[in-house]
Amino acid sequence: MQESIYLGTLIRYILTFAMMVGLSLCVYGVLRLFHVRQAYATGYALISPWLAGLLIFTAGPIFTSLGLSFTSYDLFTQPKWVGLDNYRWLFSDTLSFWPSVRLTLSYAFLSVPIGVIGSLLVALLLSMDIRGIGTYRTIYYMPAILPEVSVALLWRWLFNSEAGLLNMVLRPFLSVMGIRNPDWFGEPRFVLPAFVIMSVWGVFGTNMVVFLAAIRNVPKVLYEAAEIDGAGGFSKFWNITLPQISPVILLQVIMGIIGALQIFAVAMFARPTSAAGRFMNQLIYERGFLQLKMGEASAIAWVLFLIILGLTLLVFRSSTAWVYYEAEVQK
Amino acid sequence: MSSRERRLFVLFASLLLVSALLIGGGAGLAASKTKIRLATWAGVDEANELQEILDNLNAKSTTYEIVQESSPAEYDTKLITTLAAEAGADLYWIGQENVPSFASRGVMMDLTDRMKASKHPAAKLDDYFGPTMERMMYQDKVYALPWINQPVMMFTNLDLFDREKIAYPDETWDWDKFLEVAKALTVDKNGHHPDDAGFDPDNVERWGFTLNGWPPVQMFIWQAGGDVISEDFKSCPVDSKEAVFGAQFYVDLIHKHHVAPPLSIIRDRGFDTMYKNGQVAMFMGGAADDLDYKPDFRSQAFMIPKGPSGNRYSFLWVGGMAVNAKTKNPDVAFEAFLDLSDAIHHWKVVPPRKSLATKEMLVELKPEKKHSLDAIVEAMNDTRSFRIFPNYAEWDSIFWDQYADPLINGRGTAEELAKRVKPLLEKTLTIK
Repeated sequence: MQESIYLGTLIRYILTFAMMVGLSLCVYGVLRLFHVRQAYATGYALISPWLAGLLIFTAGPIFTSLGLSFTSYDLFTQPKWVGLDNYRWLFSDTLSFWPSVRLTLSYAFLSVPIGVIGSLLVALLLSMDIRGIGTYRTIYYMPAILPEVSVALLWRWLFNSEAGLLNMVLRPFLSVMGIRNPDWFGEPRFVLPAFVIMSVWGVFGTNMVVFLAAIRNVPKVLYEAAEIDGAGGFSKFWNITLPQISPVILLQVIMGIIGALQIFAVAMFARPTSAAGRFMNQLIYERGFLQLKMGEASAIAWVLFLIILGLTLLVFRSSTAWVYYEAEVQK
Repeated sequence: MSSRERRLFVLFASLLLVSALLIGGGAGLAASKTKIRLATWAGVDEANELQEILDNLNAKSTTYEIVQESSPAEYDTKLITTLAAEAGADLYWIGQENVPSFASRGVMMDLTDRMKASKHPAAKLDDYFGPTMERMMYQDKVYALPWINQPVMMFTNLDLFDREKIAYPDETWDWDKFLEVAKALTVDKNGHHPDDAGFDPDNVERWGFTLNGWPPVQMFIWQAGGDVISEDFKSCPVDSKEAVFGAQFYVDLIHKHHVAPPLSIIRDRGFDTMYKNGQVAMFMGGAADDLDYKPDFRSQAFMIPKGPSGNRYSFLWVGGMAVNAKTKNPDVAFEAFLDLSDAIHHWKVVPPRKSLATKEMLVELKPEKKHSLDAIVEAMNDTRSFRIFPNYAEWDSIFWDQYADPLINGRGTAEELAKRVKPLLEKTLTIK
């Protein structure tokens, strides 16, 4: 009776849908009772399922995890309040926490600039009007549609120390430095460079397309005026393209920092030696789900959140010095 | 209320009515037999074989219908989250590592009294191998039943032994003999063996043995007479003379004697793949591994060599099945649990019950492993498993990160690393 297994799921789907419709109707009915205009009532009614989802499935867990970070919680028994013990443990843990912070931040500081500058350069190349440019753009966008896990497995092959393509290419250069076939995921000193090299993959795909759209959106009239004034290629790029697309660069830097600090799937599949440390998200997973210390895992998650928030705010603050908003100038 | 609004309410009411009818229908379908959910880590082939067993049991039973929920990927995470959400399956497979942790937290049903009261063949606890049953117990209470034993066996490439005119392993083998044979089977590209002048460890074509953290270093420590966790769970004597000797012998196979490949080569070429394609002559694997019945590959499982303390402890891994403490149907779930345990004991090699782990029974279950079965049955008499406690996952993480991994990768001697890791390991014993 295989069909009976799925019947429950089907029923739950229908019930969920019915509850969403019910919620919308209730919101609509209540707002109308208070004489809210029909257009507003309809709008609030339509977004109410999404709002409920946000509160229950996003805001709820976020604040629950904050609470849990002050408890000892093993998932199965009631959380016990321990105050700041989890945070004290974190900051005194030189075995796993600090190495993971160091590894995660190093990765972000190396991979984000490479990713942003690389994708900008590729976008500049692809913004040229040459024959077959559409094909090139399609090819360069393809990494964005490949699953992250498949890419990680592919990289494992490329990093193969004996027969990997990377070592074959690098062998002549590395032999000059006296390095024999690096064991990228086996030797701690190569793990970070390996992940940074893997992140170059992100140069192509979505980031590049966003930059391409921004570059093509720069008004042609600015370039024409610059040409009349005798500006060269680099001068046009430095004085027109960069300022014009600087809001997009800001976006890419922020998204890049957030993405890099949250690295998880690739690291789990690449399985580097534990001597190199773990990324913070891996440590959260290990403490929470393997060691059943969800309080400590929540504390690490909140520290990671604060690091991301701090860096994001720092970049935002600095943006007044290097981001050009045309609308603000026009005021 | 406008007519459009009225129409919306009618639509909503209709939806609720349809849902209610469907729920009623669903409940009616399930009413005949109690549905018992079974969570497993079975992969596709294993799940298909298990489904045949379940179909037979379901056809015979008038009280239950077992429904398989297989999650081969991230099984433990899914199991933990469903149990934490009180939405866990009624029965679930569990690895030995999780038993004390789950039992101490009340997620597994205490089966002790039910076992005593039952006359089911699977409930006869004295029929189970002692070390196997121990792994399914916590504080002298039974929380699960084992359904598989996996002692470590030494798989041997018979063609390579014949070619080098070396006698197959037997009960006289100890570490010295093992090392001597491993050296004889290790050859570099010029045909030199490790003790020969001119042997080039960077250009080895075939190795006598292989290890990469598997088999566990603990097995070598036990065989040397040492231990990693004391019997009373109060200390971690990894720095004892015996433990250091066992662990150092283990890694010397790679770094000193060059009879096992470096880890980078294993990562690149595949661990058991190297054995299957003749690049490694001896391989330690679980008794149920398929390494001894591949077509065109003469391979046989033998008992592992005994260590300097005279014991031949083979690391034993035990897989079991537990009943969810929060099941809504404890009696029916327990009935299904016993029937299914018994059925799996007649499916998997090696069964955890002494009465079933006979050569005759194993030949019936796995005729393709016939040539290895004498050794497998014999190995069951000298097994040992990890000492596991509720905080074992943290202990294991530190043991691997701070001791086993650097040891295998040559980032310290067994003595140096043991001194450093001992206090860290012992600290985890005190954490609840």
